[in-house]
Amino acid sequence: MPDGALRSVGIFFAACVCGIASGLFGIGGGTLLIPFLALFFAFGQHRAQGTSLIALIPPTGLLAFLAYAKAGYVSWKVGLLLIPGVFVGGILGGWLAKRLPPRRMRQVFAGMMFALGVWQAAAAWWR
Amino acid sequence: MTLIVLFLGLAVGVLVGLLGIGGGVVLVPALVYLLHMDQHMAQGTSLLILLPPVGLGALREYWKQGQVDLRAGILCALGMLVGGYLGGLIAVPLASRHLKGLFGCFLILAAFLLWRKPQPQSTTATSAGQESAGA
Repeated sequence: MPDGALRSVGIFFAACVCGIASGLFGIGGGTLLIPFLALFFAFGQHRAQGTSLIALIPPTGLLAFLAYAKAGYVSWKVGLLLIPGVFVGGILGGWLAKRLPPRRMRQVFAGMMFALGVWQAAAAWWR
Repeated sequence: MTLIVLFLGLAVGVLVGLLGIGGGVVLVPALVYLLHMDQHMAQGTSLLILLPPVGLGALREYWKQGQVDLRAGILCALGMLVGGYLGGLIAVPLASRHLKGLFGCFLILAAFLLWRKPQPQSTTATSAGQESAGA
């Protein structure tokens, strides 16, 4: 099944790119992985999201995390304090999502992220 | 301070569950601007928070509906593990200022991706936690 093998290699390399973004920016990687799977490998939106979730069950950021930790770039106190809040907040957010128009929320948030990104890039480079 | 951090975690979690986007994209700017962390420190701390499998609950829903490609998922996990190592190697020696600028560019890209993402067909069941472990 050469087609299947080729596809597997493609998925692996797409995931490598997501991983580089993950390590470079300290994020999970799903933000990129989901559109990659949907656009390049013809995954349906649900299937892309489900597959991204299972890919993120093992601690895929572990090697990146160790690189940061070795350089002393981890605030353990703040990190450990944040975990329970994020967990409980996630449940709360899931509950809220059923009661609010998700598409509108996404767009408002995307707008905020865009502004924040422009601001952050500008603050870093054009000052 | 402790109270502020606990509250910040709660607020970030609500956004994650609400929008089905990853915690890191929200967490890193929150740590930089609200807690005045250095860019490197914020990213390392975000990676620490993302180590436990926070998306497990959401995954269950997808699994029940057969919307999980296990083989692709395993390949992605391997790829991301390797890629993450490379990304970490690139990020650590970078000047904080450049890393901050690059992160800004990534936020802009993420904003576009978030905007275009289509809404799932079945309204309630999946809108809750999609991709919440995600990015």
